[in-house]
Parts: sequence; C-alpha cells; structure tokens
Amino acid sequence: MKCLVSLPEALWVLLTFVSCLSIVAATDYFERLDLTPLPLGSLLASFEFRSNESLEAYASQDFRYFPRSLGQVLQHAGTKELHLRFTTGRWDTETWGARPWDGTKEGATGVELWAWIESDTEQEAMRKWLTLNQGLSGLFCASMNFIDETRTTKPSLSFQRTGDHRNASLHLLHGVLPGKAGVASLLDGHKVFDASWQSMSVDVRPRCVSGQNCLVEIDQTIDMVLNIARAKRPREDPIPRPVQPYELICDETKPYHSQDTCYPIDALETPAWSLKDVFGRPAAGACPLAEEGGPEAKSLCLNIPHSQGVWIGAGGFEVRSPPGEAEKRCYQMIAGEPFDFDMPKTSVRTHKQIELEEELITAERTMTGHGAAKGGMRTVFTNPSATEPVNLVLFESLPWFLRPFMHTLKAQIVESEFPFEWEIIKDLYYRPAVDRRRGTQIEVVLSIPPASVVMVTYDFDKAILRYTEYPPDANRGFIVAPAVVRILDKADASGNAKAIYLRTTSLLLALPTPDFSMPYNVIILTSTVMALAFGSIFNILIRRFVAFDEVPENKIGKLVKSARLRVATLKEKITGTKADKTE
Amino acid sequence: MHLPLLLLWALSLLLPSLVHSAHTSNWAVLVSTSRFWFNYRHLSNTLSLYRTVKRLGIPDSQILLLLPDDMACNPRNAFPGTVYSNADRRMDLYGENVEVDYRGYEVTVENFIRLLTDRWADGVPASKRLLTDEGSNVLIYMTGHGGNEFLKFQDSEEISSWDLADAFSQMREKRRFNELLFMIDTCQANTLYRQFYAQGVIATGSSEEDESSYSHHADNDVGVAVIDRWTYYVLQFLENEVKDLQSEKTLGDLFDSYDVEKIHSRPGVRWDLFPGGEQAGRNRRVVDFFGNVQGVEVQDRDSKDSLKEDLDGLMILVKEYETFAAAQEKNRTMRDEYTVQRDTASMGKVQGLHHSKPVGPMRLKKDSFSLRQVAGAAILAGLGSLWYFGSKVVI
Repeated sequence: MKCLVSLPEALWVLLTFVSCLSIVAATDYFERLDLTPLPLGSLLASFEFRSNESLEAYASQDFRYFPRSLGQVLQHAGTKELHLRFTTGRWDTETWGARPWDGTKEGATGVELWAWIESDTEQEAMRKWLTLNQGLSGLFCASMNFIDETRTTKPSLSFQRTGDHRNASLHLLHGVLPGKAGVASLLDGHKVFDASWQSMSVDVRPRCVSGQNCLVEIDQTIDMVLNIARAKRPREDPIPRPVQPYELICDETKPYHSQDTCYPIDALETPAWSLKDVFGRPAAGACPLAEEGGPEAKSLCLNIPHSQGVWIGAGGFEVRSPPGEAEKRCYQMIAGEPFDFDMPKTSVRTHKQIELEEELITAERTMTGHGAAKGGMRTVFTNPSATEPVNLVLFESLPWFLRPFMHTLKAQIVESEFPFEWEIIKDLYYRPAVDRRRGTQIEVVLSIPPASVVMVTYDFDKAILRYTEYPPDANRGFIVAPAVVRILDKADASGNAKAIYLRTTSLLLALPTPDFSMPYNVIILTSTVMALAFGSIFNILIRRFVAFDEVPENKIGKLVKSARLRVATLKEKITGTKADKTE
Repeated sequence: MHLPLLLLWALSLLLPSLVHSAHTSNWAVLVSTSRFWFNYRHLSNTLSLYRTVKRLGIPDSQILLLLPDDMACNPRNAFPGTVYSNADRRMDLYGENVEVDYRGYEVTVENFIRLLTDRWADGVPASKRLLTDEGSNVLIYMTGHGGNEFLKFQDSEEISSWDLADAFSQMREKRRFNELLFMIDTCQANTLYRQFYAQGVIATGSSEEDESSYSHHADNDVGVAVIDRWTYYVLQFLENEVKDLQSEKTLGDLFDSYDVEKIHSRPGVRWDLFPGGEQAGRNRRVVDFFGNVQGVEVQDRDSKDSLKEDLDGLMILVKEYETFAAAQEKNRTMRDEYTVQRDTASMGKVQGLHHSKPVGPMRLKKDSFSLRQVAGAAILAGLGSLWYFGSKVVI
C-alpha cells in the first residue's frame, strides 16, 4: 500500500489482516465507539482504536498489531513518541459543552505534529524531524513536508511526554501546518466529510507496565460532530428541499406568530436515526480481536439517559451503566453479525437530555487593527467558575511574517466579579523570529481569577514578502496557526495529574499583497516606451540630412552606372546592325 | 559491401513497427493545474483519467496524481466528499479511495519538472516519485488553462512548451521511459507539444493554435461545468471500446474517434518523434499506455562481473544478518546498540544538508528586565561620555 488514504480504511485493512491469525492475546487490541447526542440535532461520534506491540517485536520489525508502514517510518527517523493530529472545523463550546478527551486528542485546524526524537545533537534531531515529516507526508497523502524549520518549535511547557521513556536524550519538536492540508483525503466515508467538526489523532508511545514489560502502543481516534438531519440526506440527492408548511414547527413565543407568520424552530427535535443513517452502514459485528468479555468488550456505547427508549437489532445485547455513574448504555456485539439500532425521534420538550460537561475555561482569539502594515492579537479567556482560578499555558507559534512586539504584551482583567488584585502573567518564554528561518514562539503562563474575563493583547507588524513567496491564492490571506491552551494543576478523580487542552481557531492574516500582474504591465509599458523613444531618437541622432545631388557616389553606384552604360552601348550596337540588315 | 549495411538500416527502420511494445511497466502522471471552484471540471477531468487507468490495472503506486485544489471538500460543493464528471452523477470519482500525491501548493512547475526528471532533495518518499526506467511506458495527462505554448499552474506561474520539451528530453537521456504518451486538454493545446524533440513521444492535444477548448456540460446542482469536451470523448472511447486489458484497440483508433463536430475544436496528434513514425504509432495498443503490464526483465547472465558483484552483495547481507542474529541471541542491549548503529549508519548517508540547530525559547523575567534596562542605560551613558570626552581630547 502506498498511502494510507483513510485511517479507518487502513485500520480495517490491518484488522482483516490480523483477524486471520486468531492466536493472539486479546488484550493487544481494543476498540470503542461512543455516541453522544448533542443539542440542536447533532451527534458526537468518538471512535477509538488501540493496539499494542511488545517493544522487542517492534524493534525487530515484527509488526503484528502495529502498521508496518508507520513503524518503519518512525524507526527510520528515531522517533520514540509521536502525536499526530488532523482537525478541521470549530468546536462549539457554547452548545456542545466540554471537548471530547479533554482536548488531548485534538489538534489545531490543519495538521499538528509533535514528537520526541532520540538523537545526540540537536542538529541531528532536526534532520530526523524533517525525515519524519517527509515520511509521514508520503504515508498520509498530506502536505506534511511543508512542516519545515520555519514552522517548527521546541515548546518548553505546553507538551508533556505521556509515554514511559528510559533514554534521556530525547528532543521534543512541534510543528503545525494550518489550513486544510490532508484532512480531506484522510477521512473516508462521505458522511465524515460532511461533519461540522472532525478530529483525528494518532498517538504512538512506549508504555511500561511495572517497569518490565514494555510495549509500544498505538492509539488512534476519530471524533466528529455530525448533524443528524444532514447525515440522513440521501447521498444522491443531498440538496435540502423546502419543508412543507404543515411540517414547520413554529416558535409560538414570538410576538408576530400567527396563522400565516411562522418563525421556524427545527432544532428542538432530534430526528430519528440509526447507525445506517448516520454512517451509511450498520456495525459489522464484534471484532474477533477484541476481548470477548468484561467491560472492554462492549465496544459501542450510547450516552443517553436511561429513560430514553432505543430499538436494538438482533446482533447485540444492551448493558446499562449502574446507578450512581453517568447514565449510558453499551452494546456487546456478536462477531460476524451486523448490528444496528433505531433511535426514535426525541424532543427537548418531552425528553430528558444528558447533561453536558462545562468547559473549565473558554478561549477566543481574534485579530485587531486595520491596514496592511500593523495589527494586533487579542485572546480573551473566560473563567466561568465562581471560586476556582485557572492556571494555564498559552502557547503560540507564529509565522515569521507576523512580527509581534513583546513590550506590548499585556494581560488585563476586562470584566470581573472578583474583588482582589491578581497577578495574571506568571511566567513568559519567548523565542524571537528570524526572517525566513524560523517563527516566533511565545509561551505565557497565565492565571485567570475566578468569574473573570481576561484579555491578553499584543501588537504586531506585518512583513512584506518577496514576489515569489506569495502562494497562488495570496489574496485569501495567510493562515496563522491556532494557539494551544494547556490547563495546569488539574487532577482527575484518583488524584493523578490530568492534561486538559483546548485550541483556539486559526486566523487569517491579510498581508500586504501586490497586484501580481503589475510588474508585467510595467515591463511591457516600459519596453514599449523605450523601444519607441530609443528607436526614433537614435534614428534622428545618427542620421545626416543632405541634398540628393550632394550624395557622393559609392562603389556600387559606380558599378551600376558602368553596367548600364555597357548595356546601352550593346543595345545600340544590336539595333544598329539590325537596322543595317533591314536597310 | 554496402548491401548488408543498407539491409541492416532498412531492417532497423522496419523493426520498431514489427516489435510489439516491449515495455515492462506502466506509469501515469495526471495533472490538473487549476485552483478554485469554478475550475471543477479540470479536477474531474483528471480524476476521470485516474479512474480509467486504475480500472485498466495501473496500481496507485504507479499513478502520480497532482491536484491543486480540493473540490470534494469545498464548502460550495453540495455533494460533500464527492466529485462527479457527469450530470447524471452515477460515478463518484472521489470514491472510497483516492491517493493524491501532490496537493494544493505542492502543485508547482518546479515540482512537476522535478517529478519528471526525478531530481529531489533527500527524503522525498517513494510514493511521490516517478520511479520509471527504460522499460516504462508513461502516460502524461495535463489539463488546465493555457495559451500559445504555455500552460498556467494555479494562476501564478506557467510552464512553456520548451520546458516540457527539455524535461522529456532529459527523461529520454536518463532512460526514464520507453514510450511516452502526452495528452493535454487546454486552450491552444496543440502548441504545447510543438517544441518536443525527444524520441519515443506521441503527443495529442485538444485544440489548434488560436482555438479554445470547451467544456462539455454543466451540472445545475453542482453549479459549474463538470467536464471538458475533448476529455469527455476520449473517456467515452476508453469506456466503450477499451473494456479490459485484452482490448486490441490501437492509438490510431482512439485518435480517429476524434470528431471535430462534437469536440468543437480541432484536436491534433504528433507522431514524428515516435520511432517508425505514424505507422508504428497507430499500431500501439491503447492499453500499452492506459493499462498495466508487469514485465520481468531478464538481465544478461553471461557477464561474470555482475554475478560476482551480486554474490558479494549477498555475502554482505548474509554477514549482516548473522551478526544481527548473534546479537539477538546474546542479549537485548547489544541488539539495541546494533539497531542504533545501523540506523545512524543509514542516517549518516543523508548528512549532506546542513540544518540549523533548533533554538528553544528563552525565559523572560521581570527582574532581569529592569537589570537589562539599567545595563542598557549604562552602556549608552558610557558611549555618550566617550564621545564627549573624546572630542575634548582632540581639541
């Protein structure tokens, strides 16, 4: 296989390959699909596929549960831990609540990659990093070879190793390729292309259980938010048709609501759906590789209240979560039996909804200012909690053509119900940009007081690029990679440190863009003027005007004259003799 | 004495027309050069060709697909994840799997020429390279907006017929193809192959100089034209006449199927660079370029040197394996060392390029900030006093 065009497909290929060898320990493979209905008729689908390979088998390239093509690229580039993210769309925190996986499986819009690379020197690490990018670019059909030195940073606070490493000489490198590179071709299935938000991740890391049995774990997730009504449209005819008047649901609270005036609300009801409607096909049954019993075997879960009814098909049975835990139900499927269920139509008015988790903090980043020379960046953090301050790291990796002024970096509380003084900026790490060589890197440790809105701003200059540095669609603007926010000092239920991430949206920076045809116009016009002026002036300058008879005879003229003379005499002779004859 | 030579010469002229194409592999380079939604048809042209060569057996590893834009996921596309080349929308060209090798900003003239001539920086993956040899038949299909002897790439640069001609000649010199079929669908397409001089090339285009190439039809729901005329009729021929690899249809049949009435422009064909000229070219089967063969080259067995080299190479491999196996048996650490050694050895080969040392961020502290302000002021004051007293000394 040349390219893993779609991760699900690649996984599927991998699955079918290993399912033939049924002599493997079941715990080496795990899969799970979580479905969570969200407000306004959306559905969050989170796929997770995880598999292990023992470190020995991995080192000797004996790949069973690990994709060989990926493993070889990683080994070639000396990569010990890899995190790869493909994301597109915007997670709508206000309606959808907290991010899946606490944002740890999510990347910046576009491609985001960070890896720990083993090498003795930093130059070598850089070289291996570029090799890794090239290799992954070939593997995932994404333009990841564009992650070059200008887009690479060495974050010091924002990313932590999640695997267990024995070697110390590891170098962390982080690269972002904002934009829509690659995601399109990666995700398979037309429903996925239509998702409001989608994120894919590949994590490879070494894992050591009790310091002895080391494993290489590959964890792949796909998360997407689908609009159920949209996903249910037939593929051949996806263009929405107007709803019949009698099918309209009107908002009767509007003052202008009457028999002939309707403010339609279609978001109150979630249409009925099934797996086939949403994903195009039913689940193909339990994976023979996954565990057959226990909690891990229930590979399909629905996060809905127990009060809600679901019609399930023959290929599986339902297990509900015990009281006290979050209400959800999981399905144990039977190998080889297709499984589907029918979710009836639900309405906000009549059905209990699952409670969405609230995000600890919201971050919003926008650009300010106008004109082609200067601008400003503004990031607004909102801490909704009334009691808890939030400590976080704001990580920004800016392109070199955006030149921030660090002395203008300010954090201020714009809105607060918290009466005391608060020091917002705790720490600051900064790497200035070098034109065309590397970008700016800013890492700020911030502390957001409870019930406050904090605004972090700085000004920047826009660089003027060289003519050939502009992309073909320069007037669209240049994408600035999203900022990564890592929330610090949070622990999970068992007291372990917990990583929580969120990312802002990417921004479009309008740079001063020349009129690209202008140089040609100038060249053509100048050349024409030059030709005309030079031609006539030169002509006038070198020419001498004399009367016709003043022109001295040259050699050719003499020759012509003598030739003419001879011809004339010859003619005379002939005519003369002729005349003699006739006479 | 001259007779045998003459005979030989005559035979050599005849030979190419007699021998059935003797290629051992098939490759296809399919290029769309247009960006933006309204150029949907150029992508669907290219993808249609992609589907055709895939149908006739060329594997994805031997197809290089260059698409500058992503129509399937364009927000304006009412049919997300799909690209259609016909208003009946029966065939989804994007389908379940499509391997785009060069996308977006990667589709540039430079990359295209590098692809043809295989001049790359280190580390470019094999999937993005045209790894042809002297036994390869190469199909090159290009579509986009062009003019007299040029073709635009993404509205920002152009490739000229001279560039193409030189690239093909370089390919010929490097023995990168056996025979090459160049197809182009753009306005004034036939001018693009005017400068070609490399032997073994057959070229065909959609329109004469000062002629436009037209789109075939539009899909009202997609909202733009979905395919170009010339490509449409070429595809129609390929779909209806060339059903499988056994098809005996020839290039002559394909080019004879051009109908100016339908295409609305005058397509052209150039045979003169092909050994044996038009006669030999016409007899080439369509599947020699659009289909796939998996030939095996038997190398000359008599040359003892190469055999010896091969044996030596094998011995090295065997030894390497033996050390590896021994290390594996001894203990883990030794094997780890060995793998590291081997990896560094293989990495060492690409050490030509200099990479700058990645610089980490610097911690900024408030106290150091004021300290630096003081230091800066002191330096300035020092310089000022030097200037002041220096002028005093001179006087």
